[in-house]
Amino acid sequence: MFERFGTITSVGVTILNTMKNGWWKILGAVIFTGVLIVGLTTPLRPGIVESSPRVAETGQSVDVKIKAYNSFFADALGLKAWLKISDDHVISAAAIDVISNRDIIATFDIPNTFSSKKAKEKSTLILNSEVDGNIILPNALVIRSQDGGTSQNQWTPFDIDKLHKVDNFRFPYRSTLNETIRNTFFHVAIWFAMFILLIISLIYSIRFLISKDHTLDIKASAFTSVAIVFGLIGIATGSVWAKFTWGAYWTSDVKLNMSAIAILIYLAYWILRTSIKDIDSRARLSAVYNIFAFAMLIPLIFIIPRLTDSLHPGNGGNPALGGEDLDNTLRMIFYPSIIALTLIGIWISNITYRLEIVKEKVMGLY
Amino acid sequence: MKKPFITILASFLLPISLLASSEDFFRSIGKIYSVVAVVVVLFLAIIIYLVRMDNKLTKLEKQIKNES
Repeated sequence: MFERFGTITSVGVTILNTMKNGWWKILGAVIFTGVLIVGLTTPLRPGIVESSPRVAETGQSVDVKIKAYNSFFADALGLKAWLKISDDHVISAAAIDVISNRDIIATFDIPNTFSSKKAKEKSTLILNSEVDGNIILPNALVIRSQDGGTSQNQWTPFDIDKLHKVDNFRFPYRSTLNETIRNTFFHVAIWFAMFILLIISLIYSIRFLISKDHTLDIKASAFTSVAIVFGLIGIATGSVWAKFTWGAYWTSDVKLNMSAIAILIYLAYWILRTSIKDIDSRARLSAVYNIFAFAMLIPLIFIIPRLTDSLHPGNGGNPALGGEDLDNTLRMIFYPSIIALTLIGIWISNITYRLEIVKEKVMGLY
Repeated sequence: MKKPFITILASFLLPISLLASSEDFFRSIGKIYSVVAVVVVLFLAIIIYLVRMDNKLTKLEKQIKNES
């Protein structure tokens, strides 16, 4: 019994010791614990999972069945629905039949003609209530133009003042991403942390070439090896995420292949170091190779994926860290996560480096 | 050193306490909390392991310094 208390207090004492001389180590752990708790328990904003039918004709009265997620239709006051073609072409629902918190049927009287004279128009479905705020489904209903409608309804400009706003701390709902949007805090953040560790490693390599200080080379190698592990974690986590959103563990997406090449280049750094016995030439060669590898990393990860089609946000014309992909609520967890993972990465690198130094000193002593 | 930690902890706990009032579809089943608990325990175990390794290293470094 007392022995158990002993181990608990010894863990407590060791943590306190670590806090004294390396408070940033514990800070990283505390922030990441917070990221785990808040990042995994914060609910998503309500969103529309599906609506049917997807096609309607002008002059028709259509019952749109809507299935939503995380919504409170039954409790909602002032629930309204609109179909919107453009800001000046909007109709509101003639009737809304609430079935449950997640299901409603909205009836729309579609006017007889479009003013645009097009054969068909895509319309966005907008729901709004006091509880849920806005729920939007783009391209919900394609409306085909048809002669001889009997509708009395007319398109009107959209009155934004009627909308209720809800400022809850909630993550955005994105179709296909759904709950996996939380992976941003882990998958994307670990790539950012890897990149920061590689920058630190690059700085140590350059400083080594200037000063020829042997310990700087060991520091550079420690940071690179932890960064490689982070990169491998990034690839593994991305692969799992891709399976559940894009449908395959590995796609021919440029960013995947280019980051795989980048990891291989850094793995070659590892092999290079272990294959050279002479300490001085090993340090010099690996420092030069590290600079070369970093110079390759920039075009591989940041330039080439932006030039071609990619499924990743920020590439191939997709908006980068902006819009709904990374809104302010996500940022509040995403940035701390990068800081925490970087601090933990620096900590592990620090332990790796010190272990290497101790090993060398012991080898020298005996 | 204590105060910044408390503020950081509080800033993380605040949104949770605000959210605890409403029960939506995602959390109404309640099982996500067990997942979070498991992941947090796993992560903290790794951190405690890191802390102990860090301290053992510090001891070794001191020993080597005294011997040489």
